[in-house]
Amino acid sequence: MEAPVNPQTRAVRALNRFGLGARAGEASTLGDPKGWLLDQLEDPPPSVVGDVPDEDEVWVRIGAFRERQRARDREGAQEAGRRMRELYRREARLLLDTRVTTERPFVERLVAFWSNHLCISVGATAVVAPLAGLYERQAVRPHVLGRFEEMVLASVRHPAMLVYLDNFRSIGPDSAAARLVRQNRNRELGLNENYARELLELHTLGLDGGYGQGDVEELARLLTGWTVPSLLPWRRAQLERMGRDGSGARGPGSQRGPGRGDGDESEPGFAFLSVLHDPGEKAVLAGRYGEGQAEGERAIRDLCRHPATADFVAGKLARHFLSEEPAARDVEALASVFRATGGDLSAVAARLVELETAWDPDTRLFRTPQDWLVAVLRAVHHDEAPDRATGVLRQLRHTVWAPDAPRGYPDGARSWADPDSLMNRAELARSLAGQAPRDDLRPERLLSVLELSGDDPLPALVHDETIGARERLALVLGGPAFQWR
Amino acid sequence: MTMDRRGFVRGMCLGGLATFALPAVRFAQVPGDGRLVFLLLRGGVDGLAALVPAHDPAYARARRGLALPDEALTDLDGRFALGPGLEPLAQLWNRDELLAVHALAIPYRSRSHFDSQAVLETGLDVPSGAADGWLNRLLGVMGGEARGVAVAAGMPRSLTGPASVSTWSPTRLGSVGGAYLDRLALLYRRDRELHDRFEAALQMKELAGDEGDAMGSRGTGLAARYAAVMDATARFLAQSDGPNVAAVEFSGWDTHAAQGGADGPLARRLGGLAQALADFPERMGDRWRDTTVVVMTEFGRTVAVNGSGGTDHGTGGAAFVLGPRVRRSMVVADWPGLADGELFEGRDVRPTLDTRALLKGVLAGTFDLTAGQADRVFPESGGVQGRYDLMI
Repeated sequence: MEAPVNPQTRAVRALNRFGLGARAGEASTLGDPKGWLLDQLEDPPPSVVGDVPDEDEVWVRIGAFRERQRARDREGAQEAGRRMRELYRREARLLLDTRVTTERPFVERLVAFWSNHLCISVGATAVVAPLAGLYERQAVRPHVLGRFEEMVLASVRHPAMLVYLDNFRSIGPDSAAARLVRQNRNRELGLNENYARELLELHTLGLDGGYGQGDVEELARLLTGWTVPSLLPWRRAQLERMGRDGSGARGPGSQRGPGRGDGDESEPGFAFLSVLHDPGEKAVLAGRYGEGQAEGERAIRDLCRHPATADFVAGKLARHFLSEEPAARDVEALASVFRATGGDLSAVAARLVELETAWDPDTRLFRTPQDWLVAVLRAVHHDEAPDRATGVLRQLRHTVWAPDAPRGYPDGARSWADPDSLMNRAELARSLAGQAPRDDLRPERLLSVLELSGDDPLPALVHDETIGARERLALVLGGPAFQWR
Repeated sequence: MTMDRRGFVRGMCLGGLATFALPAVRFAQVPGDGRLVFLLLRGGVDGLAALVPAHDPAYARARRGLALPDEALTDLDGRFALGPGLEPLAQLWNRDELLAVHALAIPYRSRSHFDSQAVLETGLDVPSGAADGWLNRLLGVMGGEARGVAVAAGMPRSLTGPASVSTWSPTRLGSVGGAYLDRLALLYRRDRELHDRFEAALQMKELAGDEGDAMGSRGTGLAARYAAVMDATARFLAQSDGPNVAAVEFSGWDTHAAQGGADGPLARRLGGLAQALADFPERMGDRWRDTTVVVMTEFGRTVAVNGSGGTDHGTGGAAFVLGPRVRRSMVVADWPGLADGELFEGRDVRPTLDTRALLKGVLAGTFDLTAGQADRVFPESGGVQGRYDLMI
């Protein structure tokens, strides 16, 4: 590579590789780029800017939707569905505003990474949409600078995840409820192993983590009873009756989960219902577990502390922040911090910044559509995301909180840099440049957000005043250099 | 690059969540007249809901709550029947243009979407993180002008590899002029990795022409989406200098809960798909005579209904092959049966046919490949005899 034209290369790298994109002129203000990144990890958990929907409002709207559904009122349910999606749109918009304006862009990148690692999808079923923003704010944000297992446990308990991967309706085949239904109505209730499988494959051990079909089924049994009572087809009183009739000896019908707990009969959210829980011993990998919520928690903590989890998570972080094909020693460096600190995600993030690969000018990573759009908006000094942003992301196949599959959105040029996507970015760059405020029309200032080699033709084009200023701006944003970080 | 590019901003104004990104369609060109569409249904289609073994005495008991009544089925050969939603495929069956395949599986036993899609798309017998896709390998085997073009929303694994391949989607995000694109092309020329891709995008824009911008501006429902994508696919494949191979994909088949019966959610989804497929021959016009469409998924699902009225990840599943080059309409199934002792690991349809055996037959029939060439598309598959008896 030729000598870089930008003297602030390391600062630009910090802003782009670890952050959400440099603002024009920002690189010269950073001081020590590494210190700037590490300082961001010191502050409290990152929050969303603006006025987020109230949790009670979320449940009110879900309740209204469920009620219209139960009444088989198609039109009413559609209207209630629209009101649920409104909440999603508001949350998605506030998330983008946060990314565009944050002064802790590294931490927001970590939020996005972990949120995608433990993803839910609003494309799956109607009820996930209003819960999506809540999920990221309650399960992910509080733990991105904390411990991995606390984040995983928060996701296991979150209604959005319980609904998305069907665990809320997974019922122990020998649970009190299943036995009663079998006896009275000759119907089978049973396991849904969707969540247990993805918890092993995608959230903790990884595909090569050494588990088998038997482990999936046993973990599914352990997780029966982790549910969202208000979304089940039974009323609370029925559930309690099942608990009494089906197994008088087994104690109360439910144990409240953390979170809301004022004991209200109609209270929404997570609860552990022992009437749905499969009794008996369970064996997951080397662990042996008994009954109840605490045993499920113990199993999940064991999975999070398993050495394969450290390797899996480290590899994924390295591919996201370092290189599409990271060196084994970089992955091991991250994994060993993960293991040594019991999954301290702040320590792992700090180690990431220390790895020389991240700063090597010869390495580059392709920006995902979300990160490209946010980088564009930051580069031209927007103080919020435009109204059309969420729609644009849908068209770029990177809708907020809506991956096609539980694996989440992929990383890398292989996934995002197809010909049509490059053309879409070129089109969008031109269109956004056309709407940029007149004050921002100094395309030459934007050269400071890029790492360019000495023989790149972009600076000459950007200084060519025979080309309109808006088109020159578009050439920066839609050109190849801006697609990488 | 002086063609008039009439674009327009659309979709900025599309409200709501109803339209997720259009499913992907990608093209690649190989010499010859043959045309192949590889339609991948991501998520794992319930093969027993799509192609119903109505003759199997164990069927009703094994499926439990998901067993379908006879009146919901469209009989094919007295043994197997099309499941609810797929009625439109009967047209193809009656024209001798449909193979309905059952108890088919990839050569690797895994119930992971990720692993299974990797095996199906790379054409290998184990998942490999680095391997290229078999459609791309096909382009190499065919040799000649492997010019890439695309109708796309991304690049699927099956098409990745050394042969230059393009993507195209109906999404247009702004009007761009020729001079602007020329300057961008100049910039992209210096980017080793992106240069070919941007060139491909320019070519594709030209091939699509102005009308291309209007494609896909249909309704927002599932059926409309499937129809729009298949119409766009036909538009490119039907051109005499168009691509020969298209990869299309639709996701959303992972029916863990409430998949429903004769008029349930899965049946409606299958219905949208079948209608788009049934309309496809007419869209292809004269070119249909050279065309084969293969519809596949990464795995079948559990035989028994799960605790939530759905099915979990399974093994053997169903596939369909459409086109005039099939020998005659028939059900291709060495049927293992659904009785208790016959299920794979006590829960899934036992696979009796390797996806690669079927695909080899399809490739040979569509592109007049030799068995040796077909073997090269699927490395290490010499021991898997192609089903060369299924196509003309």
